Amino acid sequence: MNSDIVLVCPVTEPYVRRSEHDAAWFMGRVLSRLIAASGVGKADIDGLCLSSFTLAPDGPAPFLQYAGMSVRMLDWIPTGGACGIMAARRAIRAVAAGDAEIVACLAGDTANAGSFRDLLEGFSVFSRDAVYPYGAGGPNASFALITDHYMRKYGAVREDFGHLAVAQRRNAQGNPNALLRSPMTMEDYLGARPVASPIHLLDCVMPCAGGDGFLVMTRARADALGLASVRLLASIERHNAFSDDPMQERGGWLLDRDALWSKAGVGPQDMDAVQTYDDYPVISMLQFEGLGFCGQGEAASFLRGRDLTATGDLPHNTGGGQLSCGQAGAAGGYLGLVEAMRQLTGVATSQVARARHVLVSGFGMINYDRGLCTAAAVLAE
Amino acid sequence: MMRSQAMREMDHAAAGGMVALQSCASCGMAQYPPRSLCHACLSADLAWSRALSIEGVVLAATVLHHSHEPDFRSALPLRVGMVHLDCGPQAVCFVQVAEPGTRVRVTATLDAQGRAVLTAQPFSMPKETMG
Repeated sequence: MNSDIVLVCPVTEPYVRRSEHDAAWFMGRVLSRLIAASGVGKADIDGLCLSSFTLAPDGPAPFLQYAGMSVRMLDWIPTGGACGIMAARRAIRAVAAGDAEIVACLAGDTANAGSFRDLLEGFSVFSRDAVYPYGAGGPNASFALITDHYMRKYGAVREDFGHLAVAQRRNAQGNPNALLRSPMTMEDYLGARPVASPIHLLDCVMPCAGGDGFLVMTRARADALGLASVRLLASIERHNAFSDDPMQERGGWLLDRDALWSKAGVGPQDMDAVQTYDDYPVISMLQFEGLGFCGQGEAASFLRGRDLTATGDLPHNTGGGQLSCGQAGAAGGYLGLVEAMRQLTGVATSQVARARHVLVSGFGMINYDRGLCTAAAVLAE
Repeated sequence: MMRSQAMREMDHAAAGGMVALQSCASCGMAQYPPRSLCHACLSADLAWSRALSIEGVVLAATVLHHSHEPDFRSALPLRVGMVHLDCGPQAVCFVQVAEPGTRVRVTATLDAQGRAVLTAQPFSMPKETMG
């Protein structure tokens, strides 16, 4: 029923390592870019899906006054790496239901000397009570435990993670929005300093400031505006799945992937590119497994023989991913989606030759010991 | 930084050298981190038990070479692990062993900020060396 509703105008407010601007500025800049890219007026945007970690104490309603907007559909999606796909799902449903005609979906965050530490210290009640006092390692420590478990149980080695990181850096080389785009070899990867074993520096995403966004509207409206559009064939989300697993080694994608591929009418083998949430490489592996590219624990061997660059046989994180671009807070949950839209409309900086179907996957919110939110979407030209 | 109300029982117990563990008086489920309702049956009727130590098995471990807090930096590298407690839940602990599968005894102490923190030591280690 939603095939007449499309995604248009992927935009990025360029990432910077640090900024004196606040989060609202980055979100407002994304909005401004959406308006400029689409030709619609600010007053034509009557729905808004927002995500940010550093907007506090403000939430979505204060942002409306900040940006001088009035909307009839407002959604706040604080789910980190899953927020972009969730925004697309909600926006499409809102347009289909007549709740809004044009929905702006955007995420933005700032970064300064103290902001990342403040974010970590107060990230969640469980984290504050039962994780942060143990050395204040932040996400590096939590993902180190997940990675340690995965490597021991399934036999993945550091070179397997390096295979993803090195290919992503290569994909980033033409991307002006990537903060890290100098060439990187496997030796560089393996020689990086340890941060939280087995996590080393080049497994970690660089916290930064920036924003990403896109618009959702009817195809008729997009065509009238002369905008290149992308369809969402199918999408899923699942939260706090497999909570009885002692260590996280799979995510909620597994429960819904059959429905995803069935509704999309295509399968993993039909994907011309895959955009996973790569904070950290082990999480990308969980997504290849959970979404049916290979069996549980088989991602390392599945990916080992594949070329993951944009010109390879399995283009993965073709804009460089967060490992190369940086993690602009909640915008990290949009990065794969806007890159997929660029691939499908032929404007990516590392363009896949014939991108017809792209899978986007999201993962977010390490509340205590595991990521709670998962989502995935199949996009088509 | 604030602590949740539920953690304060652990802080009080740790001040006396004890580990406090929360469970549901209605369904019996143990839970960690502690919270204000039972996550299984949503009962508000929660109970606490105290012990000198509790037991579990190491699931995974890491050595931290970086901390976001200056207070920890002089203590680096720090070994942190996930322990599967015999009573059910998992707890992030300071660990003295890296090998998953190792049985451990978990004790609680107060850190410099007055927070209860858990430390896991190999189960075979003589008790008098603990602390």
